[in-house]
Amino acid sequence: MELVNIEKLLEAYFEGQTSLEEEAALCAYFKSREVAPHLQAYTPLFKGLSAARQEVSQRKVELPHYRVAFWRYGIAATVAIGIGIAGFVFTQPKLTQEEREAIAAFEKTKEAMKFLSQNFNDGAEELAIINQFTITKNKILK
Amino acid sequence: MNQNEFLGTVLPFKDKLYRLAKRILVSKDEAEDAVQEVYLKLWKGKGKIKNYKNPEAFAITMTKNYCLDRLKSKQANNLKIVHNTFQHSQSVEREVEANDGVTMVFKIMETLPEQQRIVLQLRDVEQFEFSEIAEMLDSNETAIRVNLSRARKTVREALLKKYNYGVS
Repeated sequence: MELVNIEKLLEAYFEGQTSLEEEAALCAYFKSREVAPHLQAYTPLFKGLSAARQEVSQRKVELPHYRVAFWRYGIAATVAIGIGIAGFVFTQPKLTQEEREAIAAFEKTKEAMKFLSQNFNDGAEELAIINQFTITKNKILK
Repeated sequence: MNQNEFLGTVLPFKDKLYRLAKRILVSKDEAEDAVQEVYLKLWKGKGKIKNYKNPEAFAITMTKNYCLDRLKSKQANNLKIVHNTFQHSQSVEREVEANDGVTMVFKIMETLPEQQRIVLQLRDVEQFEFSEIAEMLDSNETAIRVNLSRARKTVREALLKKYNYGVS
C-alpha cells in the first residue's frame, strides 16, 4: 500500500475511525520489512498487538463432573443398606408372648427331668450294694 | 445440556477470556483462576446459555465483570500497594532489556485505565466489531470509539516518548 494511504489510515486509527479490514492492512504493513523510517516508532505497537494475540491459557478447565453421580451413589447406598436391614429384621423368627412362655416352660421341664434322671442314676448305683447281700448270703448258706 | 455439549460451546473462546483476564489482572495465575471461576459460573448457569444469542459475548462480559470485581477487592485489601511496588522495581529492569519494544507496549498497556485497557484488548487484540464490543460492555459504539481512541493515543504518546529517548 502507498505510504500516503498508510499515513491516512494511521491517523484514522488513532481517532478510532478505522474498520477491522483497515486495521488488518495497517498490521500487515508494519509486519513487512519496508516500513518508512518516520513510521518505525509504531512498529512495536502493531507487533505487540499481534504478540498479545498469541497468548494462550495453560491450565485445563475443571468442572465438577462427579457431583451428579455422587448423590446418585448416595441414594443407591441408602437403598442397599435399607434392604439389608429390612431383610435382617424380617427374617428373624417372630415369637409371641405365649410361644416364648412355652419355650421357657419347656426348658424348665427339661431341666427338671434332667435333675430327676440324675438322682435316679445315683439311686441305681446305690442299689448295686444290695447284690453284695446276695453274694454273702450264698457263701453262708451253701 | 451435558458436559461435552457445554464444553463444545464454551471452550473455543477460552483463550480470549484468558487474555482479557490477564489484561485486566496482569498476573498469569490470577488470570487462569479467573477463567476457571468464569467457567464454573457458566456451567452452573448452563441452562441459560442457550438463551443468549451469543455465548461468547456473554462469557466475555462475565469475565470482564469478574476481573473488575477481583481488582476492586484487591484494592480494598491493600494488596495493590504491595503489587505496585513490586511491579515498579521489575518494570525498571524490564525497560532496560526491552529493546524489541514489544514488551514495552505491554507495559504501556498496563498503565491504561481499566476501561480503556478492556476496549483496546477487545478491538486491537481480539478484533471484535464495534457493535459486538458495545454489546459486551453494555455501552454504545460512539463511547467505545472514544475510549479506544484515547487508549490508542496514550499508547502512541508513551511509545514515541520512549522511542525518541532511545534514539537520541
